[in-house]
Amino acid sequence: MLRYMKKYWIFALLAALFMIGEVAADMIQPKLMAGIVDDGILGLSGNGTPDISLITTVGIRMLLIVLAGGLCGILCAAMTNICGQSYGNEVRKACFSNIMKMSFEQTDSFTTGSLITRVTNDVSQVQRLVMSIVRGLIRSSMFLIAGTFTLLSLNVHFNIVVACAFPLVILDIVFILWKTNPLFGILQKRIDRMNTVIGENISGARVVRAFIQEGTETERFDRANTELVETQMRVLILTSFMRPIMNIILNMAIVALIWIGAIQTKAGGMRPGDVMAAITYISQILNGMMMLAMIFQTFSRGFASGRRINEILHAEPAITDGPGVGETAVKGSVCFRDVSFSYPDNQAEVLHDIDLEIRPGEVFGIIGSTGCGKTSLINLISRLYDATEGTVEVDGVNIREYKLKELRDRVAAVPQKNELFSTTIRENILLGREQANENEIRAAAQAAQAEEFILEQPHGYETPVAEGGTSLSGGQRQRVAIARALLKKGEILILDDSTSALDLVTEAKIYDALDRDYAGITRIIIAQRIASIRNADRIAVMENGSIIACAGHEELLRTCGTYQDIYQSQVKMGGAAE
Amino acid sequence: MSTSSRNQNNAQQPSFRKGGHRNIGAPVEKAQNSSRTFRRLIRYFRPEIGRLVILFICVAVGAAASIIAPTLQSSAIDSITARQFDALPKFLILMIVMYLLHSGFTLLQEYVSAHLSQRIIKRMRGDLFGKMLRLPVAYLDSHSHGDLMSRMTNDAENISNVVSSSFSSLCSGVLMLTGTLTVMLIYSWQLTLISCSVIIFSVLFTRLLSKAIRKYYLRQQELLGSVNGIVEEEVSFYRTVTAYNQQEKAVKKFSETSDELTRTGIIAQIISNAMGPMMNMLNNMSFVLVAVFGAIFVIRGSITVGVISAFIIYSKQFSRPINELAQLYGEIQTALAGAERIFEVLDYADETDNGTLRMPRTQGVIEFKNVNFSYVPGKQIIYDFNLKVEAGKKIALVGSTGSGKTTIINLLMRFYDIDSGEITLDGVNIRDIPLKDLRDNIGIVLQETVLFTDTIRSNIAYAKPGATEEEIRTAAEFACCDTMIETLPEGYETVLTGSGANLSQGQRQLMTIGRAFLSYPYVLILDEATSNVDTRTEKNIQDAMYRLMEGRTSLIIAHRLSTIQDADQIIVMDHGHIAETGTHEELIARQGQYYSLYNTQFAGRAT
Repeated sequence: MLRYMKKYWIFALLAALFMIGEVAADMIQPKLMAGIVDDGILGLSGNGTPDISLITTVGIRMLLIVLAGGLCGILCAAMTNICGQSYGNEVRKACFSNIMKMSFEQTDSFTTGSLITRVTNDVSQVQRLVMSIVRGLIRSSMFLIAGTFTLLSLNVHFNIVVACAFPLVILDIVFILWKTNPLFGILQKRIDRMNTVIGENISGARVVRAFIQEGTETERFDRANTELVETQMRVLILTSFMRPIMNIILNMAIVALIWIGAIQTKAGGMRPGDVMAAITYISQILNGMMMLAMIFQTFSRGFASGRRINEILHAEPAITDGPGVGETAVKGSVCFRDVSFSYPDNQAEVLHDIDLEIRPGEVFGIIGSTGCGKTSLINLISRLYDATEGTVEVDGVNIREYKLKELRDRVAAVPQKNELFSTTIRENILLGREQANENEIRAAAQAAQAEEFILEQPHGYETPVAEGGTSLSGGQRQRVAIARALLKKGEILILDDSTSALDLVTEAKIYDALDRDYAGITRIIIAQRIASIRNADRIAVMENGSIIACAGHEELLRTCGTYQDIYQSQVKMGGAAE
Repeated sequence: MSTSSRNQNNAQQPSFRKGGHRNIGAPVEKAQNSSRTFRRLIRYFRPEIGRLVILFICVAVGAAASIIAPTLQSSAIDSITARQFDALPKFLILMIVMYLLHSGFTLLQEYVSAHLSQRIIKRMRGDLFGKMLRLPVAYLDSHSHGDLMSRMTNDAENISNVVSSSFSSLCSGVLMLTGTLTVMLIYSWQLTLISCSVIIFSVLFTRLLSKAIRKYYLRQQELLGSVNGIVEEEVSFYRTVTAYNQQEKAVKKFSETSDELTRTGIIAQIISNAMGPMMNMLNNMSFVLVAVFGAIFVIRGSITVGVISAFIIYSKQFSRPINELAQLYGEIQTALAGAERIFEVLDYADETDNGTLRMPRTQGVIEFKNVNFSYVPGKQIIYDFNLKVEAGKKIALVGSTGSGKTTIINLLMRFYDIDSGEITLDGVNIRDIPLKDLRDNIGIVLQETVLFTDTIRSNIAYAKPGATEEEIRTAAEFACCDTMIETLPEGYETVLTGSGANLSQGQRQLMTIGRAFLSYPYVLILDEATSNVDTRTEKNIQDAMYRLMEGRTSLIIAHRLSTIQDADQIIVMDHGHIAETGTHEELIARQGQYYSLYNTQFAGRAT
């Protein structure tokens, strides 16, 4: 992760230098002030007469130093920001582009939600960490070290005060951080818990009411609420000790300084102005320690975020490009040879010994019960996952030979859950093929039976789709997704239960349009309804991860028991279906 | 924890930055009617008055201690300068007392304020949650869920913070300001004038700068939103992104937005972060001016050296509350806007539930008489709907999307109330039956699958928390999900995650059916409950349901006609009207709408 800093270390260095300038200016002030009091007012180094010209010259010098210090401070802020934000930007971009290279095995195991949090929250945590290191760490340690040095240079007898105050402050900080840090993790969990309860009750309101579970839900919420408040209280009370204890230590140190200062002044080893300066220094030192403690807190959070980001940056995609294939003689064939498959994080085999050849231009139906492996099978074609055993060939070439882009260009798939982006309907369809012209877009929309409702929208094709596609109905979304796939003009079109939300007439129109305008391309259609696929050239019947039969509708009706069962379950009364 | 950093009333010396500049310039939201909301808020917090009084006392003592302490320090320095060392111990002891008082009361103050804020937030969240359970479903349907969430979490938290910590800041700010100013004026009005002029200048300067960065902040916020939006969308839709080879384009889009965010962010943050050093500079200037002019006044004999030392502390103590108060204004405005949003929810009328005719067990006779209904005025969904369901019958509702099938269920459950007409259960208008009784009689499986983040067991036993193992298993068996559940490594104890990623959509549907079966209602409603389940499993569930619901009324909405052929009565809906009714055979024989629907479904296309 550090390598993203390479371009910006110069800004970090400059920021540090300016910071040193700013702190130095702050550190000189009390000393000059002491000079004004001792030499100017009291005239201790002269003959006891006040020296107004000395006061004004020192005053002007102080003003100049103040201005220089301020300038350094502003420049430091600028440099820190350029460095921190640019670095954050680099990391953010690197994370995102790495996610875009991941295979599904990885996105599944990270989970979508976690990936999003990492790119957004974790990156800003790390950015904050970098900025606080560049600024805070240097600033507070300088106050701490230079302050101590200057304080002792005023009078070595102050060392007792420093020696007593330091460990006490450290003890205070360490103790409270040690006590509170584990609580933050619990706190986060409790917040999540409460948010989950609220969220579920909002989105599941109908169920809660239908089953009259308001009482149980209130109890569940009260428990979450109480637990959260209890943890929050513990954190607040623990942290509320830090500041007052610090203050007691600081103020006692001041009292001690005045006392020691008085003894020293009495003995003649010290001047009153020095006592005043010492008071300023000790508070600078102790506040420096306080800041350090705060920075350490950012550290632990920042490092945890850094680890999570590194996991993304170091994730190697499990599925990578093959050498590339180029043009093939055959176009539109798919062939499974002894393919078995199980999901990466699960031993249970989802597909067993699949042997299947789909010919170019064929209309191929797949039917089978929930969870029998239909979707898993077609996911293998575009290498969303790799087969555990056996090979998959597209156009007569092992799919591992293709570059991923090359392979996926040949396949146009409409997934079960259609995903529309929050841009216009046109942009969503254009995702299929960016170079497509107006006529092609409209042709695809017409074939998908989408044009009619698109033109009814307030801005036609330019109508924006609301987030997650909520502004369109389920059936309308499916049709936009189908239009998108049709526009792509792949060699192989896969419809994974993509017409489930459409009424039957519309579905039939789509299939007619496919027969008419897209006759040349291979079509693989997963369906629940026999009506959707009965006209297919061949239909594969799947059960528990195997293909138990593969033939035309009529033949399956004669020979395949499962198919007959499915058919019977859909056509109870027989006669009408024929 | 913001409390601890805000109330650092200790005798800080010059050249220390305050923690409070970070949010300067952040957009401030305004409430529609601040004064009314404010009064309302005060009424709402009346039970906390006692704690607020204690809080005020703590703040007052703390502030007094930190105003008096520097005068003692000043006297101590003077006794050193004047070499009157005997007077010193007295001052030092008094200083210790003051400091202890100050720290002690700060601690007490933080403790009380933590209690207060947590009590408030707990009560507010509880009230809001309770309200949410009573709000009409129509409200939840028509308001963004994210917005409601944010009212319950962010707004509530804002208010509790403002009431607890901003209250102390406000009190201590005002007390410190007046106290410090008084003591300063007593010491030397000339020096007071000098330090005040710098401070006032710095406050004005802050205002000016924060105005300048406001537009960058807004832009930054906007860009941050779009960066998050892009990540969210591209990552959630990754399947489509890869299917269409859109990865590079996504990266490019992301990089452009991210770069722009960084550019805007750098400008906004440089200005806001420069504010710290600038304030520091102005404070240091006041330090220098106090030193120089103080020195001159000392020489003229109008003040002592100790006074300078006190002034250095006071000018610091004086500028902090001014800046804080300026910031508080924004915070209070934002909180008031939040309070307004919360009260808006709390004020919304509850679901109407004034029925008094108890109905522990319905016969299952449902009747719709001349029912009219529209979700949005002017866009009528149900027209003059008449339907009588006899006790114990199986009724099916079919029709294309948007024909009003689900609406009928919404009306029967009283998720929405009808515009005109009457719906009766056993001859009693459902408005006259307590909601609890009405809904207790009716079990429902919805189109959208709602499962809770809990074990499968608790989800199935949702409507009947005391259900026995036997009952749960039987319900699962009836819903055809027992075998599937048993193959899971943790069986019935498997915790369903929010997104339900660990189960397929069809499997989730089966569980909601199991849940409804276990509640064993007198009327059962299935609204597209098996749309993602394959037809054979669906058939099995149907059979189980018929066995289970023997003698009880059931209402089924389905897309697939095969699901409903055995129904006693099939109602074909079209645009909010009933197009035809009858049994399957009757409707087929009639060769009307149902017949053509049936033909498309089973005969496939004409080709």
